[in-house]
Amino acid sequence: MAKILMLKPSCSSNHYLTTASILSPQNAAVSLTKATMAMCSSFCPRINIQFRAKPTSRFSIKPQFSVQFKAFSSQDSNPPPKDEVPTRIGFLGLGIMGSPMAQNLIKAGCDVTVWNRTKSKCDPLVSLGAKYKSSPEEVAASCDVTFAMLADPESAAEVAYGKHGAASGMSPGKGYVDVSTVDGPTSKLISTRIKSSGALFLEAPVSGSKKPAEDGQLIFLTAGDKSLYETAAPFLDIMGKSRFYLGDVGNGAAMKLVVNMIMGSMMASFSEGLLLSEKVGLDPKVLVEVITQGAINAPMYSMKGPSMVQSLYPTAFPLKHQQKDLRLALGLAESVCQPTPIAAAANELYKVAKSRGLSDDDFSAVIEALKGKLDKLS
Amino acid sequence: MEEIGFLGLGIMGKAMSMNLLRHGFKLTVWNRTLSRCDELVEHGATIGESPAAVIKKCKYTIAMLSDPAAALSVVFDKDGVLEQIGAGKGYIDMSTVDAETSSKISEAIALKGGSFLEAPVSGSKKPAEDGQLVILAAGERALYDAIIPAFDIMGKKSFFLGQVGNGARMKLVVNMIMGSMMNAFSEGLVLADKSGLDPQTLLDVLDLGAIANPMFKMKGPSMTKSSYPPAFPLKHQQKDMRLALALGDENAVPMPVAAAANEAFKKARSMGLGDLDFSAVHETVASSKGST
Repeated sequence: MAKILMLKPSCSSNHYLTTASILSPQNAAVSLTKATMAMCSSFCPRINIQFRAKPTSRFSIKPQFSVQFKAFSSQDSNPPPKDEVPTRIGFLGLGIMGSPMAQNLIKAGCDVTVWNRTKSKCDPLVSLGAKYKSSPEEVAASCDVTFAMLADPESAAEVAYGKHGAASGMSPGKGYVDVSTVDGPTSKLISTRIKSSGALFLEAPVSGSKKPAEDGQLIFLTAGDKSLYETAAPFLDIMGKSRFYLGDVGNGAAMKLVVNMIMGSMMASFSEGLLLSEKVGLDPKVLVEVITQGAINAPMYSMKGPSMVQSLYPTAFPLKHQQKDLRLALGLAESVCQPTPIAAAANELYKVAKSRGLSDDDFSAVIEALKGKLDKLS
Repeated sequence: MEEIGFLGLGIMGKAMSMNLLRHGFKLTVWNRTLSRCDELVEHGATIGESPAAVIKKCKYTIAMLSDPAAALSVVFDKDGVLEQIGAGKGYIDMSTVDAETSSKISEAIALKGGSFLEAPVSGSKKPAEDGQLVILAAGERALYDAIIPAFDIMGKKSFFLGQVGNGARMKLVVNMIMGSMMNAFSEGLVLADKSGLDPQTLLDVLDLGAIANPMFKMKGPSMTKSSYPPAFPLKHQQKDMRLALALGDENAVPMPVAAAANEAFKKARSMGLGDLDFSAVHETVASSKGST
């Protein structure tokens, strides 16, 4: 299933040096010449492997590249055309996350076909060069690897195996990578439906919200078919800064829920602290500064603190999704018989915030749940 | 700078005073258990037989006691600070106490003509050893300015927060968030483990994202091995949660997450984990067996 991914001629010389170092010098020279020859004969844009400098990444690009290039260099002088065709990428779901993720793929030179329930969201991507199909089924049928980024388990399931869903367009040789955040059972159900067509499945929820998505700095928490992971890896590397392969379907979902459970509790606690500091006559901005100096300094606090102090909650991660994740995490905890009182208390606050109409605000709006309704006037 | 007094040589006091000695400060020290003074004497400190004796000798005296009761005792008891404090002398209490205790001490000192500064710290044993504390001072500005050279040795950043009580309150708010975070972290570590994930992988993932922080990084690895060497004793963390909740109570601020966290720390104390590091609250989550 591994496709050969070739370098754009317009890559900076750095890229060539990086890939060449994986191969022996002799093979490198041979492969690059073939690459150049092959490119001249094709009209398709090649996939640009982004060996970007990633200052914060701890994980180097995985050896999958050497696997592919070794295969390439072992070709004789006329590589079979099949291995030159760039991977056709599908992208289902162009919301806060899906849109910048798909854009990053397009900007990197990938062949991308999009679909979204609200068609108008596809327009910016089509104007950047994406193709459009009118259903997940058609996208899946016309692509090799289809990504899906939906808001919740219900829409993820619907898009995967509902009417005209992706599963209907899947077949052997294709792959479905679901980057939505869902519960384990939903993920397993999607996996079963996709794989019944003969295709491969990878769950790959992400850690990171709007800005990391725009900047290609997401963290992928994948599980499922290892060979699909290896095929998808270069595309994950375009959209993200690091990726984990965690084994069987369900493990990626679980890891994501655990992370977001901790995050939701932390935001709720931070909210309690900000409000308490204000009520006892301290300057909440100074509290944020003090926190920044100490052992509990998390980027989230210094990012969100200043706007929270002004009662502003520009949406990077919608509160309704944070509450969904907490609910699913509590479900996971229940399934393994683990009490989680802090997460449960935090979840209640998000529910209150939802009832106050703050579902589409940033999840930092949970601080409003602690305020009496009349506080808003002061 | 002239000779400074130092009362209280526990986990924090010892590290802080050693730091001052190493940087050329002359110290007269006192501790309830005299033997803890030995190492400081080896490094050049003098011993005072009582808090009063130390105050008598020194223009400025720093105190680092473990809780409100000890902080009050050192001031109000026989041979305490009040017997010798007066005009021209300053008392800097770096203990973590509630605002009421701090006010009580402040008023008593002022009545005798002395000047007072509360200056609780954020940071535990290692930051104390490394001079990397965050100091949250409030009270007399002139005393703050005078003692800054010592603060700059003991800490990486000092804040002057205004009137007495503000330092105490700021400290409690910070430690409240910290206690809740430690509980959230523990719940996550245990859930990862029970779901068949590798807790170390969770630590790696957390370290890459928006909720990465030094505490998770420092404590995580030992927590996964059920090891809790005390840098910040759990009983003190629970004391701080309790004081923070009382503050919320006084001001009608809802704090459901902090309340849940406090319960977890209480449970940990009932399990005999009070003298271990506050990360031992992890055991209350880890040890919960499945329902029958």
